[in-house]
Amino acid sequence: MRNFIDKIIRNALVIIMALLVLDVVWQVFTRYILELPSTITDEVARFLLIWVSLLGAAYFSGQNMHISIDLLANYLSSSNRQKLKIFIKASIICFVLCVFVIGGGVLMYYTYIFRQITPTLQIPIAYVYSIGPLSGLLIIYYKLSDIWRILKMQYKENHVILNK
Amino acid sequence: MELLEILVLVFSFLILLAIGIPIAWTLGIASLLTIMLSLDSITAFTTMSQQFLTSLDSFTLLAIPFFILAGQIMNQGGIANRLINFAKNLIGALPGGLAHINVVAAMLFGAIAGSSVAAASAIGSILGPRMKEEGYTKEFGASINITSSSMGLVIPPSNILIVYSLASGGTSIAALFIAGYIPGILTGLALMALAAVWAKRKNFPVGERSTLKNVATSFINAFPSLLLLIVVIGGIVGGIFTATEAAAIAVVYTLALAFFYKEITFNDLPDVLINAVKTTSIVMLLIAASMSMSWVMSFGHIPQNVSEALLGLSDNKFVILLLINLILLFVGMFMDITPAVLIFTPIFLPVALELGIDPVHFGIIMIVNLCIGICTPPVGTLLFVGVSVAETTIEKVIKPLLPLFAAMLVVLMLVTFWEDLSLWLPRLFNLI
Repeated sequence: MRNFIDKIIRNALVIIMALLVLDVVWQVFTRYILELPSTITDEVARFLLIWVSLLGAAYFSGQNMHISIDLLANYLSSSNRQKLKIFIKASIICFVLCVFVIGGGVLMYYTYIFRQITPTLQIPIAYVYSIGPLSGLLIIYYKLSDIWRILKMQYKENHVILNK
Repeated sequence: MELLEILVLVFSFLILLAIGIPIAWTLGIASLLTIMLSLDSITAFTTMSQQFLTSLDSFTLLAIPFFILAGQIMNQGGIANRLINFAKNLIGALPGGLAHINVVAAMLFGAIAGSSVAAASAIGSILGPRMKEEGYTKEFGASINITSSSMGLVIPPSNILIVYSLASGGTSIAALFIAGYIPGILTGLALMALAAVWAKRKNFPVGERSTLKNVATSFINAFPSLLLLIVVIGGIVGGIFTATEAAAIAVVYTLALAFFYKEITFNDLPDVLINAVKTTSIVMLLIAASMSMSWVMSFGHIPQNVSEALLGLSDNKFVILLLINLILLFVGMFMDITPAVLIFTPIFLPVALELGIDPVHFGIIMIVNLCIGICTPPVGTLLFVGVSVAETTIEKVIKPLLPLFAAMLVVLMLVTFWEDLSLWLPRLFNLI
């Protein structure tokens, strides 16, 4: 299941990043070679950046790639270290649930009912913001699955290599 | 802001960081806890979420993923080797030859790839083993590699200068870029001088003097990569393209070069792209979280309070700059450079402007200062990478790092109190 989700997001990220490059290269091309600046590339690029950043944040949160310092973990016994890891992941879940999912959802709702649309593409800005809750849900899924793995492995043997 | 809120912000940040929550989430959680003291929950969640989303909505920030991608593409190929070869032929015959090669190659690589971390790992992994062969200690090699790689952030193109431009409300990227040259090169020279003294004392071997022909050949080999610097910086400084467009051109150029040298195939592209997404999304999440913390601080009027407090202490430019430098050195120990720039620029820049300091000059002071911070424990991204590439430990590199820090501090003081070091070039090009 997790591998399957990983694969989908990974491919989506590659595509978004490639689109982002093409978009800005197209902008440069239309501005300097055709001398007819494209009107939509700027907005498309900014929205793709938001998407690639937050979807990427979810994916690499799943890979436990975000920089942290493991000062404290070195001084703990292995069972306490696991409790600490669960606490860390639970804190991330709480934050993401409050800000990305609930906050992002409310934001989407308000911008949608107040009919806020983007200046050039003329699409509801809520579509752009939908990456907030989506990324949040993915992070929560990854972190729950991490916790589940920690608990299960601890049940079998006292040996976990999860966090980098 | 009430005292309670400041305490919540600072202590929750330090505690969460110490227990090992990733830095970006630490910034976010600390900001959320603080803002929840003055707003009701749903409003706090929604405004935080809005801060995260809108802070990423910027065409200027777009330059960052492109410079990262260009760096990734170059990493695939032999650019590190070509730069090292060029540096070897140029300055390998000085005492402590390999150390100088490391400084020059790391600075060039850091400048071209726009990432100090990539420079430290690419150059360190090639030169580290060679240094060991020639009798340098691992720790000495690592410490030279770490400190010289940091200068890639001062020498343009530089992502952190783009971040500063954003945090300072749109300081000219062209001016910032060109202002970075002299301070960055000066630091490199200071590190090299120190390495030479050291090598003489320890009798490290001296490389063979290269022939002019070899210098020329290695230069021609490195030239296409160096040309990128000229196109990108020339284009930005000449006002031909924006930083973002220049970065996109850098991607196309490096890709063409990598295909030309047959260092990359079409099938490698997804991996290269996902690696670029990795660094991009990590940096962008840090940016979003830092900007939300910065917003929480300005919501609590922290910048005004700090400004008043600092100016109340003294109205002497030198005293205030010294004080700001001391605070930033301390902050740099605990915070990565991107959040530090985003959070402390809005706090200190108004003070600097009040004292008549140019925002370009102030930006260079901040970056040169925080470059020391990324090389120091407990939180020093460059230190971590440099140490792990050299397969040694932080405790062991501290001793050889100390004199290098001293050299960087001397340069920092020069940069702080001698504004022409930063402003002479931008003035020459009529950018400020």
